[in-house]
Amino acid sequence: MGRAIAISRGRPPLVQIHYRTHDGRSGAFEAKVGQSLMAAAKSANVPGIIAECGGSMVCGTCHVFIDETWFAKLPTAEPMETDLIDYGLYPRPTSRLSCQITVTEAMDGLLLEIPPSQH
Amino acid sequence: MSTTTATLEKTLGIPPHVKPEQVFEFDIYADPRITDDVQGSYAAALRGAPDIFWTPANGGHWMVQRGDLITEIVKDYEIFSAREMQIPRVPDPPYMIPLSVDPPANLPYRAALMPKFSPREVAKLEPHMREIATKLIDEVVAKGECDFIREISSRFPVSIFMELMGLPLEKLREFRIIADNYFNARSNEDLARLGGQIMGIFSDLMEIRAREPRDDLVTSLMNTEVDGRALTRDEILAMCLVLFLGGMDTVTNVSGFTFQRLAEEPAVQARMAADPTLIPRAVEEGIRLHGVICTPRVVVQDTDKHGVSFRTGDMVLNILSQVGRDNRANDHADAFDIDRENKVHLTFSTGPHLCLGHILARAEIRILTEEWFKRIPSFRAKPGARHGFRIGTVHALEALPLEWDVSA
Ligand code: HEM
Ligand code: FES
Repeated sequence: MGRAIAISRGRPPLVQIHYRTHDGRSGAFEAKVGQSLMAAAKSANVPGIIAECGGSMVCGTCHVFIDETWFAKLPTAEPMETDLIDYGLYPRPTSRLSCQITVTEAMDGLLLEIPPSQH
Repeated sequence: MSTTTATLEKTLGIPPHVKPEQVFEFDIYADPRITDDVQGSYAAALRGAPDIFWTPANGGHWMVQRGDLITEIVKDYEIFSAREMQIPRVPDPPYMIPLSVDPPANLPYRAALMPKFSPREVAKLEPHMREIATKLIDEVVAKGECDFIREISSRFPVSIFMELMGLPLEKLREFRIIADNYFNARSNEDLARLGGQIMGIFSDLMEIRAREPRDDLVTSLMNTEVDGRALTRDEILAMCLVLFLGGMDTVTNVSGFTFQRLAEEPAVQARMAADPTLIPRAVEEGIRLHGVICTPRVVVQDTDKHGVSFRTGDMVLNILSQVGRDNRANDHADAFDIDRENKVHLTFSTGPHLCLGHILARAEIRILTEEWFKRIPSFRAKPGARHGFRIGTVHALEALPLEWDVSA
């Protein structure tokens, strides 16, 4: 991996996650290895991630589109997750529920896009 | 055990694992401090109580009034189970799907129900909801007055729900009475009898739909598979029970409380009438201020958390309405402020049992409010009228007499 991962003693390493909103804004946030992508995005107040059920996989409001190259590298979604995505307003082939993705060191630099709305 | 604890135990029946400073007396069914402004008076009554406290009333149980603690509890199903929800406890509590089912067993049921409650399905219902709202409001406009609960908010969501489920509308009044009785019931016998009546209604419906399938929820559940098998009749009935109870009363109550408040807020009314695009935000503010559910959980594993000793068999009641009213979460929490950026509340709960119908409920209240303001841009509470309310695990307003000027 080309970029350095911030590591401090006794704390989980941090990785950088990049995002784009549907109206073209972009930004980045830090995520701790081991936490969910949703939890990291919520702590960083990333706009457009609601996560109404707090990661219990019943609300679908933590939906994101993962950049294609990164999407292929993630473990595949469970059927329940894909079902929930399909009931939502903006399902796409690279859709994921961010609460179901556990951050790993390999995700440093991951790019995601926030859908136009969650409801 | 200290002497104070021993004395408390003797006089009030406080169990030994409850510390004296954790005791705060509150009767969830009949506390004298509660008024027609249910959520406001609740917040005022509990201002001096700890975030987690024990009330000796109704068999003795914990109450939790802070958002982050409630979030933790409703997500921590291995300690706080949803399998029992009656306070005081009853020997054979009602079983509802998915409400009484802890993860991960709840997930296939949620998945079976989700399609009908998705944003897309709700959007499809919108024209029909608008039609029902328009019809109900048109019936009262010219009178210059109405009982908002009886004539509008109790009829509107019920009609939509019946339609969704496939229930015949002629039976609307009868269903509503059974639901009211169910929420007022305390004894095991009454709960069982009323639960039985509700199941009977849906059981009849399943027989009809087996012969004449339609595009409704009951037909769809009868054709849905979970884990590669069909849902059983009992499972479908247990799902119907929670849908019936959830869909009948809650929307009525939240919109009733919201309109009771709006009637006291002429400046807010004027803004909503002048700019209808503000209505969705106003509705969310009404939802924040008027939580109507207190969700019970039963402790299934001894645990010490936040200075509290939870013991197996303790009931824990999460007072969802307190979250929206918490000044630590919302500035001037009691103020009706359309413009507030972040409307923090748990009116629909969170975690695995997050309300399945929240998208539908929000759409219903928004549509009703939009159609109301088109026809009745300014209204007030009838002076001197008592509204009456019911509290417990569901808060309800009994009547809301409103009046407005009718132009000749
Ligand atoms: C403003 C109106 C509503 C409010 C405030 C509300 C509130 C809630 C709350 C707080 C819960 C969680 C209960 C718990 O965890 O113990 C819940 C669950 C549920 N609600 Fe609603 N609700 C509303 C409208 C509806 C509607 C219209 C429907 C369907 C027609 C519905 C169906 C359900 C179902 C099926 C559950 C159980 C979900 C599960 O256990 O997974 N609700 N609701
Ligand atoms: S947070 Fe609810 S499904 Fe992800």
